[in-house]
Amino acid sequence: MVDDDPSIVAVVSEILVAEGHEVVSAENGAEALAKVNGEALVLLDMRMPVLDGWGFARQFRASGKRAPIVVMTAAENARRWAEEIGADGYLAKPFDIDALIAAVERHTTRKH
Amino acid sequence: MTALELISLLTQSIFVLIFVLVVWGFVRRPSRTNVDIALFFGAIAIAIVETRVATTLRLPQVEIVSDIVAILIIAMPYLLLRLVDDFSDVPALVNRLAEAGLLLSAAAFLATEGTVPPPILLAVVLYFVALSAYCAVEFIRAARRSTGVTRRRLEAVAAGTLLLGAAILVAGLVPSLPPPLAGLPTGFTQALALASAIAYFVGFAPPQILRRAWQEPELRSFLRRAASLPRLPDTPTIVSALQDGAGSTLGARATIGLFDPETNTLRFQDPHGVLPAEVGEGAYLAWRVFETQHAEYFADAARAHPALASAYRTHRVRSLLIAPISAAEQRLGALEAYTDHEPVFSEDDLDLVRLLADQAAVVLESRALIDEAARVRAREEAARLKDDFISAAAHDLKTPLTTLVAQAQFLERRAQTEPSAPADLAGLRRIVREAKRLSSLVIELLDASRLEQGKLVGEREPVDLVELMRDVARRDTYQAHRISVSADAPVVGSYDPRRIGQVLENLVENAVKYSPDKSEVRVAITQRDGEAFIDVTDRGIGIPASDLPRIFERFHRGSNVDDRRFAGMGLGLFICKGIVEQHGGRIWVESRVGTGSTFHVVLPLEGAH
Repeated sequence: MVDDDPSIVAVVSEILVAEGHEVVSAENGAEALAKVNGEALVLLDMRMPVLDGWGFARQFRASGKRAPIVVMTAAENARRWAEEIGADGYLAKPFDIDALIAAVERHTTRKH
Repeated sequence: MTALELISLLTQSIFVLIFVLVVWGFVRRPSRTNVDIALFFGAIAIAIVETRVATTLRLPQVEIVSDIVAILIIAMPYLLLRLVDDFSDVPALVNRLAEAGLLLSAAAFLATEGTVPPPILLAVVLYFVALSAYCAVEFIRAARRSTGVTRRRLEAVAAGTLLLGAAILVAGLVPSLPPPLAGLPTGFTQALALASAIAYFVGFAPPQILRRAWQEPELRSFLRRAASLPRLPDTPTIVSALQDGAGSTLGARATIGLFDPETNTLRFQDPHGVLPAEVGEGAYLAWRVFETQHAEYFADAARAHPALASAYRTHRVRSLLIAPISAAEQRLGALEAYTDHEPVFSEDDLDLVRLLADQAAVVLESRALIDEAARVRAREEAARLKDDFISAAAHDLKTPLTTLVAQAQFLERRAQTEPSAPADLAGLRRIVREAKRLSSLVIELLDASRLEQGKLVGEREPVDLVELMRDVARRDTYQAHRISVSADAPVVGSYDPRRIGQVLENLVENAVKYSPDKSEVRVAITQRDGEAFIDVTDRGIGIPASDLPRIFERFHRGSNVDDRRFAGMGLGLFICKGIVEQHGGRIWVESRVGTGSTFHVVLPLEGAH
């Protein structure tokens, strides 16, 4: 997951780990691109310093990666932003943890 | 009928026609000038008609009638001088000489029973010619001072007068000429008389088409100027440009008063210093014209408005031409033109003033539309800023909420599935931290909103800024930094202690936040000339020059600030500035990237509101 807010990164990681997922986190798009290593799903914040969600998505797809992307944003136009970068889904912050878990399950199981 | 007779008949008809037209002009607009014009042409017309009637009907010569006609003819140049006197100051000596000449000529004529000996006739002719020449010169001088229609008319009148003088001179010289030449000048005299009649006709009774043609160049040049006026930076600049334009077009001085519905006055910015800045209901002529919406000409300004007589005298204002400025139903103001001489053809000048006032209305209306468009744009911009503000605020509030909701749900689920598990301290701390963060964001937002309503600063009381600052500096939060407060003595002023405390706290907090641990933050508080000076200096990251002008704006954070490390809405300095300004003070910053920043606050010590 990519998010510049450390609290969100911590709590989302904790929840997903408890659900039996493995989580790699990065605080901006550039760090995420450097860490990417065949993950099954990308949870992506949009407004971030250094490299934002749009930049990350472009470079991520350009490098041939196919993993689904789910946008997580506090902005009102979450859905439009998700469409803009061709994301597979979106979570509008603040989200219910069931919605988070369901989204992660849906996009990871489809792959398997 | 011979050609000469035809010319003579034509000349006479023109003079009679002019007389009819000027009498009509006098009936429509009785003024001293119009009386004098009518008298002058009346003398000519009566002389012509009497001669015509007498010769046509072959009436016997009645001595008394022919004497009156002769005296009227002799009086002609004198009447012309009276006309000249209306618009330019004829020296008393010239007046006395003209009167003396008139009396002597009349006496000579009556005494000699119609057959005037050549030397006396020559003297009378010279008197005629001298007066005509004097009047012609005065008409030319008046023409030089005028513009447009008036100028052209005066030039024609001057030409007519010169030609009339020449005709009289030639006719008067005939008896003194040697016989072979005596027959020659008759045709010449007739031609001069005809030319004079035509020139007078053009000058005193120009057809509408001529007036329009003469007006055109002036109007055109004014319009050319006017086209670019609405784009000038502000209304006062436009008004002053309109004043200049109208003045030079009219060949006079002009001033414009704009109606202010709030005070129910006309507001003048009179560069000539005649009218006061505000003209309200009352004796003012400009107000009268504004109210009746009818352009008016005041031949004698001092008599028309005695209260301003001395101002008129000081500024050499003789007559006034005033026209209302209005667009459709909207009354916008009044255009007033001052002339140092009474305009000879005031009706034409009044026409032009009316046209200029209409043009001024167009310019001012265009300006009003431009202003309105700018207001609409500003409103839209404000609405957009508000939207931006709301969505930025919503975004900032949702970020801690995301952690709060997720963490709380996660703890709840754990409590249900593993009731015996130990408390998740890390998770609980995260909830506390994010809740505090959310709370301070909400307070920041509320402060900004109260600030905009002017409700942020409350009751004031005597506050010692030094003590207040020392309290702030002692907080535990700043333990990683050294905060030194230097002050020689207490600095006491009347402030809202909570809000000024908030400013000091915010400045120290920023200094600490943006500078490395263990570095020093120096605060100096002094007082001088009734003002308190607070300087907060850090050795932090500094503010890039490009951000400096906007650092006190809503939501602006330095471009070198890492959002993640320095949480906050970017409202802190916006609120500080508002608090300081509502205390009657000012705040600014000096900064250099990599070196640090100094925030300066100046607050009045007494009586600030």
